Amino acid sequence: MLQLLSDLVHWLTSSAQWSGPGGITARLLEHIQYSLLATLAGAVLALPLGLFIGHTRRFAFLAINLAGFGRALPTVGLVTLVFLAGGLSMWPVYVALIALAVPVIVTNTYAGMTAVDPDVTDAARGVGMTGFQVLWQIELPLALPLVMTGLRLAMIQVVSTATIAAYVSFGGLGRYIFDGLAQRDLVQVLGGALLVAALAVLLDLAMAGVQRSLFRHRPADAS
Amino acid sequence: MPNVPRPHRRTVLAGLFAAATVPALAACSSGVTSLKEGDAGGAGAADSGAGLVVGTANFTENQILGHLYAEALRGTGVKATVKPSLGSREIVVPALEGGDIDLLPEYQGNLLLHFDKKAEETQAGELQNALAATLPESLEVLPYAAAEDKDVFVVTRATARKYGLKSYADLREADGELVFGGPAEDKTRVVGLVGFRERYDVTFKEFKALDASGPLVKGALKKGDVDIANLFSTDADIIKNDWVVLTDPEHMVPAQHVVPVVRSAVADAPVRKALARLGALLTTDELSTLNKRVDVDRKDPDDVAADWAAKAGLTKN
Amino acid sequence: MTAIDWAWFPDHIGDMTTLTLDHLSIAVPAVLSGLVIALPLAVVAHRVRKLRGLILGASNVLFTVPSLAFFVLLLPVTGLTRGTAITGLTIYTLVVLIRNTVEGLDSVPAHAREASLAMGSRPLRTLLTVELPLALPVIMAGVRVATVMTISLVSVASYIGYGGLGQLFTDGFQRSYTTPVIAGVLLTLLLALLADAVLVAVQYLCTPWARHRTKEA
Repeated sequence: MLQLLSDLVHWLTSSAQWSGPGGITARLLEHIQYSLLATLAGAVLALPLGLFIGHTRRFAFLAINLAGFGRALPTVGLVTLVFLAGGLSMWPVYVALIALAVPVIVTNTYAGMTAVDPDVTDAARGVGMTGFQVLWQIELPLALPLVMTGLRLAMIQVVSTATIAAYVSFGGLGRYIFDGLAQRDLVQVLGGALLVAALAVLLDLAMAGVQRSLFRHRPADAS
Repeated sequence: MPNVPRPHRRTVLAGLFAAATVPALAACSSGVTSLKEGDAGGAGAADSGAGLVVGTANFTENQILGHLYAEALRGTGVKATVKPSLGSREIVVPALEGGDIDLLPEYQGNLLLHFDKKAEETQAGELQNALAATLPESLEVLPYAAAEDKDVFVVTRATARKYGLKSYADLREADGELVFGGPAEDKTRVVGLVGFRERYDVTFKEFKALDASGPLVKGALKKGDVDIANLFSTDADIIKNDWVVLTDPEHMVPAQHVVPVVRSAVADAPVRKALARLGALLTTDELSTLNKRVDVDRKDPDDVAADWAAKAGLTKN
Repeated sequence: MTAIDWAWFPDHIGDMTTLTLDHLSIAVPAVLSGLVIALPLAVVAHRVRKLRGLILGASNVLFTVPSLAFFVLLLPVTGLTRGTAITGLTIYTLVVLIRNTVEGLDSVPAHAREASLAMGSRPLRTLLTVELPLALPVIMAGVRVATVMTISLVSVASYIGYGGLGQLFTDGFQRSYTTPVIAGVLLTLLLALLADAVLVAVQYLCTPWARHRTKEA
């Protein structure tokens, strides 16, 4: 056990480990790239949907249940399906990651929109604002804390799950887990797992920090 | 003061907690949650009435072999169950050592290299002896089958023509130019990049960790994402796609006859007899045909194995 | 290659049933074990201010570790058994279960607890008979999320041969056969839906006071 830990420390700290195409830096950057792209794409799809449902209150059942559906969808199954349909590319990975991000963002955006005090929106409409102006100038700013929480939760899950890129031969930190298993190198598996966790935690803290500073004057909203 | 609810459902809740704890603890121990007939996890599986537990690795040929073993065993009156597709060799061999499974279909050369990375034996006979000497105390290999399934490194006909490739030695003509596709372990093993470097003085432009003769590497070879791929010699797709199997003059790839690895504790006479009968009847061609039935005709491994075993007379009891 | 082979379904009803039951035999113990571990931890986190951050933080970090890594790292410890899959999945339920239980306990009105203590109940009895029942809706919401999530994650354990319906994914992947993969995805979704519905029913049965409240509203 102790030997494993000391090997691990050695693996994480040796400079050779961090350089080169298979090095930690390269894998980290690949992993961040997959995660950012997927979360962004998910946001592009999910935010308008969540805002629309939250604003019009139509299809509310979709927003409420989408998170459940997304949670139930097995990632491995989705990756396999897209791979079988489209061959070897990053598509299986991105489809699966976006499918993971979208429900979380939709549900939280919807929750944020519905948390807006109806009196405020009523007043806004009362002074003659159009629906779109109400959405953009009143609802969205007020919903922003929960929207950001949604983005944050989505990001964390995506970072954790982006290891599947290695399952279909691509890079990222998942490479250490799969290669470590294949080469019977438990230190590599452990190292990869720790790096993913560390990345997710750091990103979470960073985004929480951003949230806190954005909503400093609204202590009730900052989570 | 608002009504403080005092639910007499506390007994329900207490019951729920108790109900939650008991099955949770029980389920974590081996065997209680088994729902498949005869499925028993944990050490000593053979004693729990499920009979011998045959494990298989995560590729279809191994699953066919596992089911064939089970059919043969049942034919001599030994109870057997199959746990299919448990994972790669790195997962299933330790499981055998640990007693979670009792029997595993393996391949001589790669099995030996798994236990002794520096092993040099390449002929079937010497491999068998080396295995007997190298395997841990608790395991033993039974006589090997006629059937063999080797790791082969194949290229498309176009690539073969372009560089004039017939053998692995010819790859020197394309040294550093080809993209190599294979399972992740190829990077560090003799039957892989290390062997190519040491035996043939060949290096590759890039190594792509895909899978062992699976859809990833075959798809990559078809698409041109890799130029040379690590496949299995009995894979039906080689002929189907007109891929060229390069020859191995320096014997980098050792013989790979199918060989049963079994826990000595459960390898009694009926088990040995059953597997010896199977080994004698199973040829490479027969195995290739079975592979084709599963991979191309989409029949299930257990059905295909049962069919073949019945026709071969293994299941008469 | 991507067309569905409809003949596969009637031929494999037995397999689908076995795999579904297999799937449940991994998911259910995982969630139950998670509850057994999470409840006491959540009570501690709720009561002891200093440990709250630590417990919630630790479970959050565990959640970010990729599930496959957990299974692989547990192999030398628990062997290639069902227990390995269950243990790994139990760890994942903790984040949701602890967090929801803490939130649920937080939401219990202070005066309810105080009244119970004032009437002579010891703290443990108050916890079991007043606080936890009142926190039940939020806790059950957590159990539902954890259950659905676990049912989805079981398929990752197919990498070590205990993926339940996930075995259909490996089978389809190995043979480039789309039909079992589709079957696996659909059955997993169905199973999650069913489990969620069952839990909603359980919650309804266990919180009769909430039913009266909705009647008044």
